[in-house]
Amino acid sequence: MDSLILQKRKRQFIYGSLFLILFMTIVVTATMGTANIKVLESLKIVIHQIPLLGDIVDISAVQKNYVVIIQSVRLPRIMLSVLVGIGLSISGVTFQGMLKNPMADPFIIGISSGAALGATIGIVLRLQWAILGISSISIFAFFGALGTTFLVYNLARIKAKVPVTTLLLAGIAVGQFLTAIMSFMMVAFSGDMHRIIFWTLGSFSTKSWTQVKMIFIPVLLGWGLLRFYAKDLNAMLLGEESAQHLGIEVERIKKILLALNAFIVAMVVSVSGIIGFVGLIIPHIVRLMVGPDHRILIPAAGLVGGIFMLMADTIARIIIAPMEIPVGIITALFGGPFFIFLLRRKKNSLL
Amino acid sequence: MAISINIKELCFQYGSETVLENISLFIKPKSFISIIGPNGSGKSTLIKNISAVLRPSGGVIELGEQNVQNMSSRDIARNMAVVPQEGAVEFRFTVQDIVLMGRSPHLRRFQTESLEDYRIAKRTMELTDTWKLKDRFVNELSGGERQRVIIARALTQEPKIILLDEPTAFLDIQHQIEILELLERLNREDGLTVVAVLHDINLAARFSKYILLLKEGRIIAEGTPEQVITQENIKQAYEIEIIINKNPFSGTPYIIPLKVSREQKIIQNSRIHVVCGGGTGTAIIQKLMEEGYQLSTGVLNVGDSDWEISKLFDIEMVEEAPFVGISEEMYQKNLKFIENSDKIILSGIPLGFGNLKNLQAVEYALEKGKKVFFIKQYEQFQQFDYTKGVGSDIINRLEKKGAVPCRTIHELIDKIN
Repeated sequence: MDSLILQKRKRQFIYGSLFLILFMTIVVTATMGTANIKVLESLKIVIHQIPLLGDIVDISAVQKNYVVIIQSVRLPRIMLSVLVGIGLSISGVTFQGMLKNPMADPFIIGISSGAALGATIGIVLRLQWAILGISSISIFAFFGALGTTFLVYNLARIKAKVPVTTLLLAGIAVGQFLTAIMSFMMVAFSGDMHRIIFWTLGSFSTKSWTQVKMIFIPVLLGWGLLRFYAKDLNAMLLGEESAQHLGIEVERIKKILLALNAFIVAMVVSVSGIIGFVGLIIPHIVRLMVGPDHRILIPAAGLVGGIFMLMADTIARIIIAPMEIPVGIITALFGGPFFIFLLRRKKNSLL
Repeated sequence: MAISINIKELCFQYGSETVLENISLFIKPKSFISIIGPNGSGKSTLIKNISAVLRPSGGVIELGEQNVQNMSSRDIARNMAVVPQEGAVEFRFTVQDIVLMGRSPHLRRFQTESLEDYRIAKRTMELTDTWKLKDRFVNELSGGERQRVIIARALTQEPKIILLDEPTAFLDIQHQIEILELLERLNREDGLTVVAVLHDINLAARFSKYILLLKEGRIIAEGTPEQVITQENIKQAYEIEIIINKNPFSGTPYIIPLKVSREQKIIQNSRIHVVCGGGTGTAIIQKLMEEGYQLSTGVLNVGDSDWEISKLFDIEMVEEAPFVGISEEMYQKNLKFIENSDKIILSGIPLGFGNLKNLQAVEYALEKGKKVFFIKQYEQFQQFDYTKGVGSDIINRLEKKGAVPCRTIHELIDKIN
């Protein structure tokens, strides 16, 4: 049937263009900064980094220090922001679909508060140790995030079921509670307030390949696994009862998705801090572009999220260089108006 | 392969409130069962228990040989599709996307729909008259269109059983009939078992082979439409009075609800005798009952609809054998009734030689000095006088002698009071 082929072509076109845009964005943003690197040189260096493809380009003509700048300073940061963008966007898509709530984002059930409190404790305790290059603050944030999700889940659970409303309310209550503790600690340890605020605003500065390696597998694997549940999410958009009538084990799928998302978001947040807005807005923007079908939405939202985060971070890095702005400020500052612009244009089709 | 539903001593409670009590029912393969009953009688809850959305507090529901509570949603969905009461979709899926979701119990996790799946979806969309909507967004459809899409999705599951919770609630009359005829056809031709909650008793009687009447969580009657749709059962379930006719097209019971309850109190002192027939008195009798008058009627042929309503309300009446003129004996009896009444009402009956004696009785009432009211709306009929003018002459004479003409029933009631 024609529509089948048409649909497949449409998907291939969407993925193809998004990949191309992502790649070009990586190449172009890698040239931005104090060193005067040309786009073509950047392209060569970036391709050289790709396994298997690396040998077909010759970078001997490129200045050695440019290679170093891109390889070990800019590229890790770029990769990290792309991965974080992917993680937050796909998690936002899943939460919005699973909870059938357009206000949902990766932090809706209190993950951000848990991570922030964890990081705050780490900062206040002035721990200097690290495991495999991962700082103690990251580790505290990670467990803060996971622990919060676990707590919220168990608070919201009624027998074998986790009703959406109780989950949201428990998330808000726990989140507020943890935020209160964090605020208290900020007041009590006012000397660390600056560092805590900067952490919660999110940033990719001073990050290296260590962080990239740490979240690379979890994010990409999580992305693939979520795509696995796309059809279930589609059915759940019709309501949990309807989904069950279509043969979906709703409660089980909810648990799996919650665990998967908690893990992805905890990973991401532990290295980047709390970057708001991406996980809320990107899913909506991509839904406006490709429709609500999660089979396209999850891959596309990941790619768009990565592109958006990379652009936001580049702006954060260069706009008042050599000073840096926390990237969370940029995402909201630019993403907000852009989203409102889209909303005004397609008023009735937000979902 | 056909599959049965066996409900054994099902009980269900929401908190401490018992919603279903000891429901036992065996639904044979290829049945067409309607569940009727007043609001809050547990109809939807029963459907939700069968479809395993709710877990019974007691008893067992078996699909084939298996307890539904022990079956996976997927196994249930392959056998049984459900059309829920409210199917709002807020997301911009196309109609085709939604209908194709009906294939999901048959697809593996990463399997995409095959051409065959598309063909099945196309067929059900054609059956439900939704193929022309296939590229529209489901959140932009009307309630009726959306309902048909949901039914198409359910049929796309290729179920052996379809459960529907008030499937025609949002539909206009044309699509109500279309959907029920479609279900009837699938039931007859493909052996699809249909279990539907319907709140239109007449539709239930017309389309289903078996009816279950629920009240307050219990089955108060079950059987064929003729067995279940009786004055007693409906009165017990809905607390209304009805008249049962036969649907002239399908031959199934057809109910006409009446307004008043039989236990109407008599609060007016004056006795009224109503001369009526052929259904012209039904509304007058109801109104007067509401006002609390003590009534008598006559002469009425047995089986006449005015006779039926008089019987229903235990009104004293002069009866004549069906389809014959009024005998002298009954005429005299009618005069006695008139003598005992304070006011006489003549409804707008068509005039024929068979009932001329009724007109003469009214004339007698005037001579006796009784107050007579009559409904004067004969102009609306092409022909009302089948007595070559004899009847009309009497009517004219009645008016001259002081009978009060009334154009409507409201006017009549005003004048009587």
